[in-house]
Amino acid sequence: MAARAVQISGQQFELDPRRIVRAVARALPEPIRDHYVVIEGRRYPPKQVIALATGLDRADFTTHQARRILRRLGFTAARRSAHPTPTTSGAPKRPAANPVEALRPHIGEWVAVKDDDVLVAADNPAAVLAWLSQHDQTADSMFRVPETEAAAGGAAPA
Amino acid sequence: MRFPFRQLPAAGGGRLTSRPTVDVWLEGIDAVPLASLVDTGALRTRFSRDLATAAGIQPDDDLAETFAVGGTIVTGAPARVLMRVGSGDHAHAWEAPVWFCDPWPFGFQLLGLEGFLQHFRVTLSAYHEWLDCKPET
Repeated sequence: MAARAVQISGQQFELDPRRIVRAVARALPEPIRDHYVVIEGRRYPPKQVIALATGLDRADFTTHQARRILRRLGFTAARRSAHPTPTTSGAPKRPAANPVEALRPHIGEWVAVKDDDVLVAADNPAAVLAWLSQHDQTADSMFRVPETEAAAGGAAPA
Repeated sequence: MRFPFRQLPAAGGGRLTSRPTVDVWLEGIDAVPLASLVDTGALRTRFSRDLATAAGIQPDDDLAETFAVGGTIVTGAPARVLMRVGSGDHAHAWEAPVWFCDPWPFGFQLLGLEGFLQHFRVTLSAYHEWLDCKPET
């Protein structure tokens, strides 16, 4: 896809999908509040992506602007609360995700999962724990998504 | 306490076999429990050494052993640690030795006889893909 000229907060930027992918390549996704975009199988808050790609302060643009720009560049944008399911407490709950498909982009990585969704994925457990601490998050489970049946089962050492 | 089997994707598409795992809280790591495979064939409970580092646990390297796990040569050293399963009124904590291993290329931590199965009565249904743990004490 060709680069698109976009104006954000009075400044002009030439953005294309490759630049977006490069911008987030070394960044762990921040917690998703509601809106997200999918980049290389990971969910990112739209404002985090545009801030990384442009260097702008997040106060300089809205989530709506960021979503619109990223959708036009071909990325999937969605929101977690699109189909809230009532619970007995009355609080909205996200629809049950497919836990297997949520894990698929992260084969070989350490993940922290919550409500069958991947909160964070990284190369090592220390990075996952640092992210949880930094963002004051807790999760339901942490493990490394195995590549093979052998890696899933290990063995039975004495 | 009932734990559903962990469902996993296969790298080539489809799924790996679902595994009987229990989420175990390790002292020093408060944000998330560790998915751990219940392994009735394992004598010891073995975790990644990286987790000891993250939790501030110092294994006794004077007691380190080198052994093979799944075709990988690993070195493990023990530490006596506090673990917990469940939360709130349904939580159960116990203290037991864990062998912290490096490298640890596996998906899960391993719960063996020493460290886990001696502390719980475990019932599982592979057909229905769940596992129940009831504390023995």
